[in-house]
Amino acid sequence: MTTTDHRRASADDPRVMLDEQVGVFEPIPPYPPRTEREAEFYSVGDGELLINIGPHHPATHGVMRVVMKLNGETIVDLDPVLGYLHRGVEKLCENADFHQTIAYMDPLEYVSSLFCEWPAVMAYEKLLDVEVPRRAEYIRVLTGELNRVSSHLLAMGFHALDLGGLTPILYSFIERDEIVEMLAAITGQRMLFNYFRIGGVNGDLNHEFMSRLGDWMSRATEQVEANVGLLSENEIFVRRNRDIGVMDPETAIKMCWTGPNLRASGVPFDIRRAHPYSVYPELDFDIPTRKEGDSLARYLLRIDEVKQSLRIIDQCLHQMPDGPVLAKLPRLLRPRPGRAFAAVEGPRGEYAIYAVSDGTDQPFRFRIHDPSFLHLQSFGRLVPGKLIADWMTVNASLDPIMGGIDK
Amino acid sequence: MTAVARAWGRLTLPGKVVFTLVPILAVLTASLIALIVLFGGAALDILNANLGVVRFVAAATVILVITIPIAFLNIYLEMKIIALMNLRVGPDRVGPWGTALSVVHGLKVLMKEDFTPSGADSVVFTWAPVVTYAAAVLTLVVLPFAPGLYAQDFNIGLLFFFAMGGLGVVGLLMGGWASFNKYSLLGGLRSAAQIISYEIPLTLSVVGLLILAGTMSLNTIVVQQDGWFANWYVFRQPLAFVIFFIAATAEANRTPFDLTEADSEIVAGFATEYSGMRFGFFFFAEYVNVFILSALTVVLFLGGWNAPFEIDPLLDWIGGILPGLGITTPVTIALDPGGLGLPLLFLLLLVPPLGTLLFAAPFFLLRSSMRWWVALIIGFLLFNVVAGGLVMAWAYVSFEAVAGLLWFLGKTFFFVFVFVWMRGTLPRVRIDQLMGFAWKWLLPASLLNLFVTALAVVVVGS
Amino acid sequence: MDRAIRQRLEERFGDVLAGPVRQRHDETEIRIGPGDVPDVLRALYDEPTFGFQLLADLAGVDTGDSMEVVYHLWGASSPDWLRVIAVGLDRDAPRVPSIVSLWPGAEWLEREAYDMFGIIFEGNRDLRRIFMPPDYKSFPLRKDFYLPDDAARSPGAGVRAMEATHAPRNAPPGAIRRVGGQAGPR
Repeated sequence: MTTTDHRRASADDPRVMLDEQVGVFEPIPPYPPRTEREAEFYSVGDGELLINIGPHHPATHGVMRVVMKLNGETIVDLDPVLGYLHRGVEKLCENADFHQTIAYMDPLEYVSSLFCEWPAVMAYEKLLDVEVPRRAEYIRVLTGELNRVSSHLLAMGFHALDLGGLTPILYSFIERDEIVEMLAAITGQRMLFNYFRIGGVNGDLNHEFMSRLGDWMSRATEQVEANVGLLSENEIFVRRNRDIGVMDPETAIKMCWTGPNLRASGVPFDIRRAHPYSVYPELDFDIPTRKEGDSLARYLLRIDEVKQSLRIIDQCLHQMPDGPVLAKLPRLLRPRPGRAFAAVEGPRGEYAIYAVSDGTDQPFRFRIHDPSFLHLQSFGRLVPGKLIADWMTVNASLDPIMGGIDK
Repeated sequence: MTAVARAWGRLTLPGKVVFTLVPILAVLTASLIALIVLFGGAALDILNANLGVVRFVAAATVILVITIPIAFLNIYLEMKIIALMNLRVGPDRVGPWGTALSVVHGLKVLMKEDFTPSGADSVVFTWAPVVTYAAAVLTLVVLPFAPGLYAQDFNIGLLFFFAMGGLGVVGLLMGGWASFNKYSLLGGLRSAAQIISYEIPLTLSVVGLLILAGTMSLNTIVVQQDGWFANWYVFRQPLAFVIFFIAATAEANRTPFDLTEADSEIVAGFATEYSGMRFGFFFFAEYVNVFILSALTVVLFLGGWNAPFEIDPLLDWIGGILPGLGITTPVTIALDPGGLGLPLLFLLLLVPPLGTLLFAAPFFLLRSSMRWWVALIIGFLLFNVVAGGLVMAWAYVSFEAVAGLLWFLGKTFFFVFVFVWMRGTLPRVRIDQLMGFAWKWLLPASLLNLFVTALAVVVVGS
Repeated sequence: MDRAIRQRLEERFGDVLAGPVRQRHDETEIRIGPGDVPDVLRALYDEPTFGFQLLADLAGVDTGDSMEVVYHLWGASSPDWLRVIAVGLDRDAPRVPSIVSLWPGAEWLEREAYDMFGIIFEGNRDLRRIFMPPDYKSFPLRKDFYLPDDAARSPGAGVRAMEATHAPRNAPPGAIRRVGGQAGPR
């Protein structure tokens, strides 16, 4: 299909829609392909068909749309289309003052909200040269690791759900619910915590949190292992995941992957160790890696990470110092003009904020970096030649959250 | 406003329904009785003359109607059992333990909008669920539920069953093609590929059994398996049983082989564009299919209506040891209530209150804190349980059909449970794994089973 | 702060740097012209003394006078984040060479920068909008972009619009877009 004969659009093209009055398929604008790649993708060859997965589809983890070019059930090529959840958070943050922006961070990655708040407050602390109390740092690590566990549990549950297993998600939600309840005890919210503040956290740990955490920690390891054991040795599950979506380490680095997905390809890159922040240098934990780089490796690596997170939580509880949890700061913040970049290792990879201040009480430029955005980009390398069902496997194992991708 | 209108306005909704229905029902009943009295004899003569037709019409009606409770029960079981496996509560609002929820679901799909997408082939689109449902119902015709309780006993019953079961895929393919939706098309094509592939091991696995049985009549196959459970074909054809059950799972489009409606891949497959009762028909057919394939597994391999043990030797044995225990009165189990004559009425009148009092007395006497009416309620419930149990036991011993039906349904619903269990436990396989499994494993295994059986028959026979 | 990396950067790229190497906290910052981006980043990626192999972020920045493209890199050779800023892009026609050949993963990051700022990355094969609708014409994160929100357009225009109270800084009055010639920002 060339750029000129757009009158002869076929009904196969997802960019055409049915005109109800005329009863014909009309292309929706912009019709002529904008780029070389788009022209190549939308020229449908013999025996190929284009199919829309999404924007509302049971397996797209939000409102993602992927246009697939299929040959039978085999994926020839695919083109993810983003923006269905775009809210312009960067622009909103440039029009809000520094404290207000933290609340905008939560809905970005609604299953691991603390990891979106964390780089923001870290960047502001760098801009303002604020010293964070040590107890606050420990509380950040403790709550962050709890949030990581809950996020990984969700990822593993949805992985099973995308493969047609109905039960594992509810089992992993038992533990996840316990964690969000305990975080709700100190933050007042189950999902969008809005807990980190510039220079510390909003409120100390309380009795309810500590008692719930103590109860949970005593059974967490067995429970998590029992739940994931439902699947990790299931023959159907293993066969559907092994050698699907294989990513080699060099390509993974070149595709800007981070987090568990990168480590499952065998690259031991973890910002907690590679570029230490907070009190992670004082804590003893390992960076699990796997060599295979396939969907199964990514699934199993999350289990290993959960175990390491439980170790960190245990150490945090034992090493937690006393003291204030929030540095004294004026209500109206006017940092000196400057630039700051802060990145943390979240459950999906590197969450980073690049904040530019021009000396006013609002950030001049507020850049949000989300790892899932870059993982999603690699579909074109992971799934062509595989079947439709493999796309669901790869998508589930990459664990994207559309809130952060679309910003 | 007249007094009648005022009275009518004061009635609640159930009251209005009752006041409308009761007179209508009364008139209908009266006229029916009048009709029977006037023309009953003549009608009976005509019916007697055409007993075959009457039997067919009755059987067809019963089979068509029985699919509704079967499907409702299966849907309820699936909701509740999967909920319990997921540590959820499941349906618990409508009816006791939510048992009426699937009825409400049925009413819901009846009331939903039933639309045809623009661009769809409306004739094929409309007929697709009908074909699928009709195929499911037709297979019920040859199933023997209990001794004497079957619609037709074909001598090619099994062949008929597979032929009709294979028709179901035509409906799915029609639905997938006519929907004008790529998901539907993929689902329809998947179902065609899957069901045709699995028909082969499904049918071949049974051929070995047919060599042993020497007949295709399902009734005869069941009769051949009577006596102790060692006579069941599952012990003579274990490999065939495994192959048959796996292939049946794929035939019924159940997890882990539910690729035709894989919700996380192709949304709902062939049913993507369906809504309302057309959608309902597809899923009715699916749940009826689950029952039918469980029933066929039971009929072929697990003795159908036969109990796993023989009751007569057991009764004889009990009769033999009773005198040894000092009981000399002969125990007549085959009661004939009609022989009691008029005292039967007194018995029916007196037994419930007396039984209630009998069962209430111990509670009232032993627990001083218990109110008398609480004790009476407990007594009444207990009496009902015991009396119901006794009646069932009597029916079980006296009527072969009741005993057969109980065993048949028990075994069948065990397999329905296994289907639900698999759905709650297993993830879905991929399409290439599914086809590879059918052609690379099940087909050779069923051929092996066939050859070994044939060889054994020849060797033993000669 | 890693003093060694500063020295190495000054030695290696002394002639292309558009300003002094700046360091603050755990960040090292160099500024280069847009034309030098591929060479400098390739040198940072390839040369064993640097080895900055991870692209941590790619962002566009509109300073109000010119455009910038900011690259954040991580390498095992330094504990710092390395920030490379391509400064001085023309606001009317911002163009910078693409780094997709170095990091194929930068493709979407560049698409995002194009979508938000209109920066043309020469060499990116798929430079189309990624978040905004395909028929969208403006670039939302530019400082002269101003969208009166729905409340300002509605009959109840007196509602406080966020953009109205936080008018863009340094934005010339003409840059503010008015919808239908009425109810603009106050």
